Amino acid sequence: MSDISKLTELRKLMLDMERSVGLQDLSSAERDIYYAATELSEAHGGVTTTYLLKHMLVADVSRPTFFRALKSLVGKGYLAPSENSGRGQYTVKTPK
Amino acid sequence: MKLPALARDTLVVSLAYLLAIFATFEVVIPVQDIFFPVFASHASLLFLPSGVRVLSAWLLGWRSVVALAPGVFLAFFYVAGIRALEPSRIFAILIAITVPAATFHAFQLLRWNIAPQPDQRPCWPCVMGAGIVISILSSVLTNYALGSPSNDYLAYFIGDFFGLLFLMMGLMFAFRAMRRRGL
Repeated sequence: MSDISKLTELRKLMLDMERSVGLQDLSSAERDIYYAATELSEAHGGVTTTYLLKHMLVADVSRPTFFRALKSLVGKGYLAPSENSGRGQYTVKTPK
Repeated sequence: MKLPALARDTLVVSLAYLLAIFATFEVVIPVQDIFFPVFASHASLLFLPSGVRVLSAWLLGWRSVVALAPGVFLAFFYVAGIRALEPSRIFAILIAITVPAATFHAFQLLRWNIAPQPDQRPCWPCVMGAGIVISILSSVLTNYALGSPSNDYLAYFIGDFFGLLFLMMGLMFAFRAMRRRGL
Protein backbone atom coordinates (compact mmCIF):
# COMPACT_ATOMS: atom_id res chain seq x y z
CA MET A 1 0.00 0.00 0.00
CA SER A 2 1.48 3.38 -1.01
CA ASP A 3 1.80 6.37 1.33
CA ILE A 4 -1.10 8.09 -0.46
CA SER A 5 -3.37 5.09 -0.16
CA LYS A 6 -2.54 4.70 3.56
CA LEU A 7 -3.56 8.31 4.12
CA THR A 8 -6.66 7.76 1.96
CA GLU A 9 -7.64 4.71 4.02
CA LEU A 10 -7.21 6.69 7.24
CA ARG A 11 -9.32 9.53 5.79
CA LYS A 12 -11.99 7.04 4.69
CA LEU A 13 -12.10 5.61 8.21
CA MET A 14 -12.54 9.08 9.67
CA LEU A 15 -15.23 9.92 7.10
CA ASP A 16 -17.07 6.79 8.20
CA MET A 17 -16.83 8.00 11.79
CA GLU A 18 -18.02 11.49 10.81
CA ARG A 19 -21.06 9.99 9.15
CA SER A 20 -21.84 7.79 12.19
CA VAL A 21 -21.69 10.70 14.62
CA GLY A 22 -23.97 12.72 12.36
CA LEU A 23 -21.48 15.27 11.05
CA GLN A 24 -22.12 14.12 7.47
CA ASP A 25 -25.57 14.23 5.91
CA LEU A 26 -25.02 11.66 3.14
CA SER A 27 -27.12 8.73 1.99
CA SER A 28 -25.33 5.38 1.57
CA ALA A 29 -25.07 5.86 -2.21
CA GLU A 30 -23.75 9.40 -1.76
CA ARG A 31 -21.27 8.16 0.85
CA ASP A 32 -19.95 5.39 -1.43
CA ILE A 33 -19.61 7.76 -4.39
CA TYR A 34 -17.83 10.28 -2.16
CA TYR A 35 -15.42 7.56 -0.85
CA ALA A 36 -14.74 6.48 -4.43
CA ALA A 37 -14.25 10.09 -5.52
CA THR A 38 -11.85 10.72 -2.62
CA GLU A 39 -9.80 7.64 -3.56
CA LEU A 40 -9.75 8.49 -7.26
CA SER A 41 -8.96 12.13 -6.58
CA GLU A 42 -5.95 11.28 -4.40
CA ALA A 43 -4.74 8.60 -6.80
CA HIS A 44 -5.25 10.43 -10.11
CA GLY A 45 -5.66 14.06 -9.11
CA GLY A 46 -9.20 14.27 -10.48
CA VAL A 47 -12.50 12.42 -10.78
CA THR A 48 -14.45 11.50 -13.88
CA THR A 49 -17.92 10.01 -14.09
CA THR A 50 -16.51 7.12 -16.14
CA TYR A 51 -13.95 6.16 -13.48
CA LEU A 52 -16.50 6.61 -10.71
CA LEU A 53 -18.91 4.23 -12.44
CA LYS A 54 -16.14 1.61 -12.68
CA HIS A 55 -15.20 1.89 -9.00
CA MET A 56 -15.93 -1.19 -6.84
CA LEU A 57 -17.73 0.84 -4.19
CA VAL A 58 -20.15 2.14 -6.81
CA ALA A 59 -20.68 -1.19 -8.56
CA ASP A 60 -23.92 -1.93 -6.69
CA VAL A 61 -25.42 1.51 -7.25
CA SER A 62 -27.94 1.66 -10.11
CA ARG A 63 -27.37 4.27 -12.84
CA PRO A 64 -30.36 6.46 -11.94
CA THR A 65 -29.36 6.42 -8.23
CA PHE A 66 -25.74 7.13 -9.19
CA PHE A 67 -26.61 10.24 -11.19
CA ARG A 68 -29.14 11.43 -8.58
CA ALA A 69 -26.52 10.99 -5.84
CA LEU A 70 -23.86 12.69 -7.97
CA LYS A 71 -26.16 15.68 -8.50
CA SER A 72 -26.96 15.74 -4.79
CA LEU A 73 -23.25 15.66 -3.88
CA VAL A 74 -22.65 18.64 -6.17
CA GLY A 75 -25.67 20.40 -4.64
CA LYS A 76 -24.40 19.76 -1.09
CA GLY A 77 -20.94 21.00 -2.03
CA TYR A 78 -19.04 17.69 -1.67
CA LEU A 79 -18.15 17.64 -5.37
CA ALA A 80 -17.74 20.50 -7.82
CA PRO A 81 -17.76 20.29 -11.62
CA SER A 82 -14.21 20.86 -12.81
CA GLU A 83 -13.80 24.31 -14.36
CA ASN A 84 -10.74 23.51 -16.43
CA SER A 85 -11.68 20.06 -17.71
CA GLY A 86 -14.59 18.92 -19.78
CA ARG A 87 -18.02 17.62 -18.86
CA GLY A 88 -18.16 14.70 -16.42
CA GLN A 89 -15.09 15.82 -14.46
CA TYR A 90 -15.26 16.75 -10.79
CA THR A 91 -13.09 17.94 -7.94
CA VAL A 92 -13.61 16.75 -4.37
CA LYS A 93 -14.65 19.49 -1.98
CA THR A 94 -15.90 19.82 1.56
CA PRO A 95 -19.12 21.67 2.23
CA LYS A 96 -18.76 24.73 4.47
CA MET B 1 17.07 11.26 -1.38
CA LYS B 2 13.93 9.18 -0.99
CA LEU B 3 13.62 7.03 2.12
CA PRO B 4 12.44 3.42 1.71
CA ALA B 5 8.76 2.94 2.59
CA LEU B 6 9.44 1.02 5.81
CA ALA B 7 11.88 3.70 7.03
CA ARG B 8 9.28 6.41 6.30
CA ASP B 9 6.57 4.43 8.09
CA THR B 10 8.90 3.88 11.06
CA LEU B 11 9.73 7.59 11.24
CA VAL B 12 6.09 8.71 11.04
CA VAL B 13 4.66 6.06 13.40
CA SER B 14 7.42 6.36 16.02
CA LEU B 15 7.21 10.16 15.97
CA ALA B 16 3.43 9.95 16.35
CA TYR B 17 3.90 7.51 19.25
CA LEU B 18 6.38 9.81 20.99
CA LEU B 19 4.12 12.84 20.49
CA ALA B 20 1.23 10.87 21.99
CA ILE B 21 3.45 9.85 24.94
CA PHE B 22 4.46 13.48 25.60
CA ALA B 23 0.82 14.62 25.38
CA THR B 24 -0.22 11.86 27.80
CA PHE B 25 2.53 12.36 30.38
CA GLU B 26 2.85 16.15 30.17
CA VAL B 27 -0.83 17.11 29.76
CA VAL B 28 -3.29 14.28 30.42
CA ILE B 29 -1.77 12.81 33.60
CA PRO B 30 -1.23 16.20 35.33
CA VAL B 31 -4.87 17.11 34.53
CA GLN B 32 -6.01 13.66 35.71
CA ASP B 33 -4.12 14.17 38.99
CA ILE B 34 -6.00 17.45 39.54
CA PHE B 35 -9.46 15.98 38.87
CA PHE B 36 -8.92 12.47 40.31
CA PRO B 37 -6.43 13.02 43.15
CA VAL B 38 -7.63 9.92 45.01
CA PHE B 39 -7.21 7.62 41.99
CA ALA B 40 -4.79 5.01 43.33
CA SER B 41 -3.21 3.88 40.05
CA HIS B 42 -0.52 5.95 38.32
CA ALA B 43 -1.82 4.73 34.92
CA SER B 44 -3.31 7.27 32.52
CA LEU B 45 -7.07 6.99 31.98
CA LEU B 46 -6.56 8.48 28.50
CA PHE B 47 -3.54 6.74 27.03
CA LEU B 48 -3.26 8.23 23.52
CA PRO B 49 -0.30 6.03 22.39
CA SER B 50 -2.67 3.07 22.45
CA GLY B 51 -4.53 4.68 19.56
CA VAL B 52 -1.29 5.06 17.60
CA ARG B 53 -0.56 1.36 18.16
CA VAL B 54 -4.00 0.21 17.00
CA LEU B 55 -4.22 2.49 13.95
CA SER B 56 -0.68 1.73 12.80
CA ALA B 57 -1.33 -2.02 13.11
CA TRP B 58 -4.61 -1.60 11.20
CA LEU B 59 -2.85 0.32 8.42
CA LEU B 60 0.49 -1.50 8.24
CA GLY B 61 -0.20 -5.00 9.56
CA TRP B 62 2.99 -6.78 10.71
CA ARG B 63 5.10 -3.88 9.39
CA SER B 64 3.79 -1.90 12.37
CA VAL B 65 6.00 -4.04 14.64
CA VAL B 66 9.09 -2.48 13.04
CA ALA B 67 7.47 0.95 12.71
CA LEU B 68 6.48 1.08 16.39
CA ALA B 69 9.66 -0.41 17.88
CA PRO B 70 11.86 2.74 18.12
CA GLY B 71 8.98 4.89 19.40
CA VAL B 72 7.89 2.38 22.04
CA PHE B 73 11.45 1.77 23.22
CA LEU B 74 12.17 5.51 23.51
CA ALA B 75 8.84 5.99 25.32
CA PHE B 76 9.78 3.34 27.89
CA PHE B 77 13.20 4.99 28.23
CA TYR B 78 11.51 8.39 28.73
CA VAL B 79 9.26 7.00 31.47
CA ALA B 80 11.53 4.47 33.22
CA GLY B 81 15.04 5.62 32.31
CA ILE B 82 17.69 2.89 32.31
CA ARG B 83 15.17 0.52 33.96
CA ALA B 84 13.60 0.23 30.49
CA LEU B 85 16.26 -2.43 29.90
CA GLU B 86 14.96 -4.66 32.74
CA PRO B 87 13.62 -8.00 31.46
CA SER B 88 10.03 -7.25 32.59
CA ARG B 89 10.02 -3.94 30.68
CA ILE B 90 11.64 -5.48 27.59
CA PHE B 91 8.79 -8.01 27.72
CA ALA B 92 6.27 -5.14 28.06
CA ILE B 93 7.86 -3.42 25.03
CA LEU B 94 7.49 -6.61 22.99
CA ILE B 95 3.84 -6.86 24.06
CA ALA B 96 3.19 -3.24 23.09
CA ILE B 97 4.61 -3.63 19.59
CA THR B 98 3.39 -7.14 18.70
CA VAL B 99 -0.08 -7.52 20.24
CA PRO B 100 -1.89 -5.06 17.90
CA ALA B 101 -0.54 -6.61 14.67
CA ALA B 102 -1.01 -10.15 16.05
CA THR B 103 -4.64 -9.36 16.96
CA PHE B 104 -5.48 -8.05 13.47
CA HIS B 105 -3.73 -11.11 12.00
CA ALA B 106 -5.73 -13.42 14.29
CA PHE B 107 -8.96 -11.77 13.15
CA GLN B 108 -7.89 -12.35 9.55
CA LEU B 109 -7.31 -16.05 10.30
CA LEU B 110 -10.82 -16.14 11.80
CA ARG B 111 -12.10 -14.74 8.47
CA TRP B 112 -12.84 -11.29 9.89
CA ASN B 113 -10.62 -9.14 7.72
CA ILE B 114 -10.96 -5.50 8.69
CA ALA B 115 -7.61 -4.45 7.24
CA PRO B 116 -7.98 -1.41 4.96
CA GLN B 117 -8.27 -2.06 1.28
CA PRO B 118 -8.96 0.19 -1.68
CA ASP B 119 -12.45 -0.38 -3.07
CA GLN B 120 -13.75 -1.36 0.36
CA ARG B 121 -15.86 0.55 2.85
CA PRO B 122 -14.06 1.22 6.11
CA CYS B 123 -15.67 0.20 9.40
CA TRP B 124 -14.65 2.35 12.35
CA PRO B 125 -16.71 0.38 14.92
CA CYS B 126 -14.79 -2.74 13.76
CA VAL B 127 -11.48 -0.94 14.40
CA MET B 128 -12.79 0.14 17.82
CA GLY B 129 -13.84 -3.48 18.49
CA ALA B 130 -10.36 -4.68 17.58
CA GLY B 131 -8.99 -1.90 19.79
CA ILE B 132 -10.99 -3.25 22.75
CA VAL B 133 -9.56 -6.75 22.26
CA ILE B 134 -6.05 -5.28 21.90
CA SER B 135 -6.59 -3.22 25.08
CA ILE B 136 -7.67 -6.28 27.07
CA LEU B 137 -4.78 -8.43 25.83
CA SER B 138 -2.21 -5.65 26.29
CA SER B 139 -3.49 -4.78 29.76
CA VAL B 140 -3.45 -8.36 31.02
CA LEU B 141 -0.06 -9.26 29.50
CA THR B 142 1.69 -5.96 30.36
CA ASN B 143 0.52 -5.88 33.96
CA TYR B 144 1.39 -9.56 34.38
CA ALA B 145 4.89 -8.84 33.00
CA LEU B 146 5.35 -5.81 35.26
CA GLY B 147 3.77 -7.48 38.30
CA SER B 148 1.35 -4.55 38.74
CA PRO B 149 -1.42 -4.37 41.38
CA SER B 150 -4.86 -5.60 40.29
CA ASN B 151 -6.44 -2.12 39.90
CA ASP B 152 -3.85 -1.31 37.20
CA TYR B 153 -5.38 -3.98 34.94
CA LEU B 154 -8.66 -2.06 34.73
CA ALA B 155 -6.94 1.34 34.58
CA TYR B 156 -4.77 0.22 31.64
CA PHE B 157 -7.81 -1.11 29.79
CA ILE B 158 -9.80 2.11 30.34
CA GLY B 159 -6.80 4.23 29.35
CA ASP B 160 -6.16 2.25 26.17
CA PHE B 161 -9.81 2.27 25.11
CA PHE B 162 -10.35 6.00 25.68
CA GLY B 163 -6.92 6.72 24.19
CA LEU B 164 -7.98 5.09 20.93
CA LEU B 165 -11.41 6.74 20.95
CA PHE B 166 -10.03 10.24 21.60
CA LEU B 167 -7.23 9.85 19.06
CA MET B 168 -9.74 8.77 16.41
CA MET B 169 -12.03 11.67 17.26
CA GLY B 170 -9.05 14.03 17.13
CA LEU B 171 -8.05 12.69 13.72
CA MET B 172 -11.66 12.95 12.52
CA PHE B 173 -11.81 16.66 13.39
CA ALA B 174 -8.28 17.25 12.07
CA PHE B 175 -9.11 15.69 8.67
CA ARG B 176 -12.41 17.58 8.61
CA ALA B 177 -10.59 20.86 9.26
CA MET B 178 -7.99 20.01 6.60
CA ARG B 179 -10.70 19.31 4.02
CA ARG B 180 -12.42 22.59 4.83
CA ARG B 181 -9.15 24.37 4.12
CA GLY B 182 -8.84 22.48 0.83
CA LEU B 183 -5.86 20.37 2.00
